[in-house]
Amino acid sequence: MLHRIKSWPSHVLLYITVGFISIMMAFPFFWMFSSSLKTNDEIWSVPPVLWPAEAKWGNFLEAWQAAPFGLYLFNSVFVAAAVVIIQLINSSMMSYALTHMRFALKHVLMAVIMVTYMLPVSSTYLSGYVILSRMGLLDSYTGLILSNSITIFGIFLLRQAFQQIPKELLEAAKIDGSGHLRILWAIMIPLSRSTLIVMTLLSFIGQYNNYFWPMLITKNPDLQLVSAGLRSFFVEGGAYGMKWPLIMAASTFTIIPLVILFFAAQKWIIKGVSNAQSVNKG
Amino acid sequence: MNLRKLGEPQAYLFILPALVPYVIFWLAPMVYVVYLSFVDWDFMNPVKTFVGWENYSRLLTDAKFYQALTTTCLFALGNVLPSLVGGLFLALLLNRKLRGMAFFRTVIFLPWVTPTVAVSIVWSWIYEPRVGLANAILGWFGAGGLEWTKSPDTALISILIVTIWKGLGWTMMFYLVALQNIPESLHEAAMIEGANRRQRLMHITLPLISPTTFFLFLITTIDSIQAYDQINVLTQGGPSGSTRTLLYLFYESAFERFEIGEASAVAIVLILLLAMISLVSLYVSRRRIHYL
Repeated sequence: MLHRIKSWPSHVLLYITVGFISIMMAFPFFWMFSSSLKTNDEIWSVPPVLWPAEAKWGNFLEAWQAAPFGLYLFNSVFVAAAVVIIQLINSSMMSYALTHMRFALKHVLMAVIMVTYMLPVSSTYLSGYVILSRMGLLDSYTGLILSNSITIFGIFLLRQAFQQIPKELLEAAKIDGSGHLRILWAIMIPLSRSTLIVMTLLSFIGQYNNYFWPMLITKNPDLQLVSAGLRSFFVEGGAYGMKWPLIMAASTFTIIPLVILFFAAQKWIIKGVSNAQSVNKG
Repeated sequence: MNLRKLGEPQAYLFILPALVPYVIFWLAPMVYVVYLSFVDWDFMNPVKTFVGWENYSRLLTDAKFYQALTTTCLFALGNVLPSLVGGLFLALLLNRKLRGMAFFRTVIFLPWVTPTVAVSIVWSWIYEPRVGLANAILGWFGAGGLEWTKSPDTALISILIVTIWKGLGWTMMFYLVALQNIPESLHEAAMIEGANRRQRLMHITLPLISPTTFFLFLITTIDSIQAYDQINVLTQGGPSGSTRTLLYLFYESAFERFEIGEASAVAIVLILLLAMISLVSLYVSRRRIHYL
């Protein structure tokens, strides 16, 4: 009881501090949303209006129709989903080979992968661009998907998970006559389900938000991902055309799918961070 | 080589689906960019002229390069230090079993999930010099407005604020996990010995979370050096080059001026810079870091 009374004022102070910081962190999102509902007069008023007198929901419809945002969102979700599926397959096969199979130069491969993880991937964008153009894969879904289809981080995560699966389980399966593919599918994958979910989420978020590389390799506006599409809308109509409420509305519906995904899956995403942590120790 | 050393033939089929894209889109470009840094080429010309070290010597005599190098280092320092210190501070605050802490963590982590381009656009509106929120807030405190992204004095700081805001939740989460892994018995033992809060932080918490600090230092540095989206949206490297990092210089010379040789030389400098940072921090970590 005494302890409680003593800590009461410090708890109040804690909640005030933490609450204040949280409001600061979330305020840009609130500001985006409130700005997207303002009239042009309200948005240019000094001092700024916190919330519009009458919310102009029509801004969302107008922004949605001002540029092919439906297509951009489709592109992002489609490419991200395809990339994630390929990454799940090739990372689990690679990680299985790295943890439970014998092959030549295994340690060399692991070391090379480790080293490239530490290097800045964007410094390969120029030479990667040239290679992709030689392959005739610029301006195509295939190029967007294939060039992103490898995740070193994912291989690390899965390797870690596969290492923790008891060898006896595998031995038993082998005695029963199961092949490698069957062991991977029926034992490793179900037992590493949480790692796979985490990898799927982090990878999807990364791909949906991807901007620099996809922007370089697609000039066709119909293939733009949502970030690039939003950025063109911003440059064309935005800072120069002064249509700030529409820009803010467009930013809002670009962000919303991820916010929903995040709230639905936050338990897993947060778990992912603790897994990622162990990658560096392993 | 004998057959035993080759291992299981099936293993090669298992590594292939990841190895092929890895070689084509990671390894080959890494090697190819080294070659490209020794040629003079503009994408169009069928002939790449070999020019030896010329791209490098031109780079090393170019004031723009040194400006970009300085900007990159300032940006990295200005991002890594506040992100680590701020992330740790938040984690220490929120590492309590109290009602509502999970909610606060979620809110602080949210910016990390959202697309950099979209949130940078929102920030560009906040930074708007005439009616933006940032200057309105300064006005409440009686301070004069700033030009934010429009002035060479404040542009880099404006971008840093966005970057730190977006990444703070990420470092906080890592520190939270690390703090939860510290055995409570250690703190209890120290309390019995009469150690106060500050002493426990300095002699128990900080040493025990040093592996996390090291890991976060590395990834935050890699991320800082590769920052592109927010610079592209907010300043495009300007005004007067004040936010042109090495990566942005790389982008401009490759995709705006089509000087492939020069751009590739910048890419090599970037790779060497990161390799150097990684090696030094690995060396330091071997001697200074305490693993549980």
